[in-house]
Amino acid sequence: MIEILTIGGLLVAWSRKSAMFASLAIALYLLGLVLRNQQLVTVAVVLLSFLTWAAFRTTNADVSSSGRRLEDENATGGIALQNLVALRKLSSARVFEDGEIDVSIRIQNKSNLSKVLEVRDRVPEVMRIKKGANYVLMELGPQRETEIAYTIEAPLRGFYTIGPVCIRIQDTFGLFHNEREIHLYDDFLVFPKMEDIKDALIKSRVPKIFTGAVNIRNPGEGSNFYNLREYVPGDAMKKVNWKATARSGGKLMVNEFERDAVSDIILLVDSRSVSETGPVSRNSLVYSTRAAASLAQYFLSRRDSVGVVVYGDEIVSVDRDTGKKQLYVILTKLAGAMAKGNTPLKVVTNRILPHINRGSPIIILSPLEDDPTIIDAVRDLRSRNFDVTILSPSSLEFEFDARRLDRTGYELLKTERDILMSELRGLGANVMDWEPDMLLNTALSGARGF
Amino acid sequence: MVEQKSDTSHLYDGKTVRSSAPSRKKAAGRMKGSTEIPKDAIPEVHVPSVIESFFGGPIVTKTKFLPPDRVVQTLQMSAAIMLTLLSIVTFTVTPVSGTAWFWLSNAINQPGIGALIHLSLIAIGFIGGMYGIFQREQRAILISYVVLILVTIRFAGSKVEFGIDLLPDGEISQKLLLISYALFLVMYIELTSGIIRFSMLDKSIRTGEVYVMNVKKITRQYYRSLMITPLIAGLVALLTLMINLIIPTIVGLLGSDATATRLAESVELTSVYGVALGTAVVFMIVASAFAVNLPVRIAQMRENSGK
Repeated sequence: MIEILTIGGLLVAWSRKSAMFASLAIALYLLGLVLRNQQLVTVAVVLLSFLTWAAFRTTNADVSSSGRRLEDENATGGIALQNLVALRKLSSARVFEDGEIDVSIRIQNKSNLSKVLEVRDRVPEVMRIKKGANYVLMELGPQRETEIAYTIEAPLRGFYTIGPVCIRIQDTFGLFHNEREIHLYDDFLVFPKMEDIKDALIKSRVPKIFTGAVNIRNPGEGSNFYNLREYVPGDAMKKVNWKATARSGGKLMVNEFERDAVSDIILLVDSRSVSETGPVSRNSLVYSTRAAASLAQYFLSRRDSVGVVVYGDEIVSVDRDTGKKQLYVILTKLAGAMAKGNTPLKVVTNRILPHINRGSPIIILSPLEDDPTIIDAVRDLRSRNFDVTILSPSSLEFEFDARRLDRTGYELLKTERDILMSELRGLGANVMDWEPDMLLNTALSGARGF
Repeated sequence: MVEQKSDTSHLYDGKTVRSSAPSRKKAAGRMKGSTEIPKDAIPEVHVPSVIESFFGGPIVTKTKFLPPDRVVQTLQMSAAIMLTLLSIVTFTVTPVSGTAWFWLSNAINQPGIGALIHLSLIAIGFIGGMYGIFQREQRAILISYVVLILVTIRFAGSKVEFGIDLLPDGEISQKLLLISYALFLVMYIELTSGIIRFSMLDKSIRTGEVYVMNVKKITRQYYRSLMITPLIAGLVALLTLMINLIIPTIVGLLGSDATATRLAESVELTSVYGVALGTAVVFMIVASAFAVNLPVRIAQMRENSGK
């Protein structure tokens, strides 16, 4: 995670103050000449001298005012930040939403001159500085180094980059400044927040050959008692129920257990452009990804096999698998889900249906907006005996809460949405209108009719 | 009898949990009949004024500052002293003759009014400046700049004239007084802008937006610059103002005494155009230093020395 700097672009700038000084000096100089007034000319000369000296003092071998950009240059000579070195260290490269990352930057001055520097480590806009500061004004002595430490809070999932480090040197009067970027970048990943789910009440109707943690009410190798039956040759003696045998009048009775099975759970996450309707931190996509992450964690902990399909401008899928590694694969995909495109649900279901076992539970996380194929797609799934659960974070609620939608518009759109949901319920899908702030557990229970 | 609650709000922090659609009948009952746009639906839009559009933003920003810290207080005191000196020097070096108000008052045969306006302008500049310094009011400071520059604008000959007759007649002392006036003005502008800058910095530090390491060293450097820069600027200004003495001296050294004497007595060199010539010469030298990238070369040399 430690990187050494590379050299960045160059920016030479006049401040508003220096521009005003220069304009005033020129105006007074010209006016003085026209009016033949030595006082005005003298003031102008002093102002110009003041500016020139400040410009001279601002000049720095590292952040030089040569006026050339790095792209036009071979990064040699006065352009290079030869004497300033930056190293950054992150406490973690992967966090969950609302998690914190400690960042420390070490700035080394390898020259023999003391430097007054403004250092700003560029942090993604959505991040919040929790502790310390990413913007430091310092006086760094010759052959000295210093460390800047700060903590950022990551409120939203996604792939993020910290950097570049902007170094600015300005004269003491704030007239001119020269800026350089040290192209030092560190990437980190923010996974969607997960909620504990007690019991999602979703299980497959079709058993798989491997045993798992979910009980499907079919006799087989499992842990829960299912029935008693007569002994048949080959049954293990440990299965013999001696009490029942005694009661049955000599017939050897054995315990039969429910068969535990692994379910294939498919999570469909709608990441079309429409799913980002609403405020940045409260929209359908944010809620969908959090729900998908929570469900994936829950099912994987039950040793189910979980697959995820994220559809927006393209269909991105994570093949079904089990285990902790699968959870991180899913979380990474969910972290990178971008609201783009308008792929209809029908196209998604057509693509994935041949690859899913019949009867597998399918959980659709979608705002159910702007897609005329939803009814067809769900009908198709239901006709093939798939257990369909739809969790629909309502963008109307987000918009209405953010006061971007008036009451009339809200009511109208809500009516349309209710009609669509009723239709989907009529097809046998478990549908839940997931309102903001409602716990995922509650929403799931609502969807399953509990 | 206490009415039993039928919803689930008591279970979910006051949030009613529904698995079915909300009652539109209920909502319809709450709906208003008017088509009026809700007040909060209209965003606040700031339409920039003509001046703001021209300068790309407000000339002076409205900023609320925290109580001044030690650095700001020191700067306030320095600025106040500088303003006092500037006002006195302005009064001494700028006679009322040649100003627009002098011409107007003479036109109405009331020459006293011109002097009164002149004094009032200096007083406004002083009082406005003092108010601006201690209240950190940028508008008042800006007004004082404008007024104190305005009083010096007058139609006059090239000869330096003073408002007080008691002042020295010698050319060098006159020029030194002129330079000190210009330096006081520039220093006043710098110190007042320093007050605002350091107040903003102090606010940023206290709100945690920026962290400053070695504050004392940074402020010490600023104070040092406040000492050195005016000296340099004054020296350059002195060179340009003394061009009518420097050029004849150089010519004299080269051997042509007659030409040197003629140059020293020439009206052009002693007038404001001589100063213009001096400015051109000095700043041409400075420009060529920048053109050959001399500052960067010097900085590189200093940084790499001893390596």
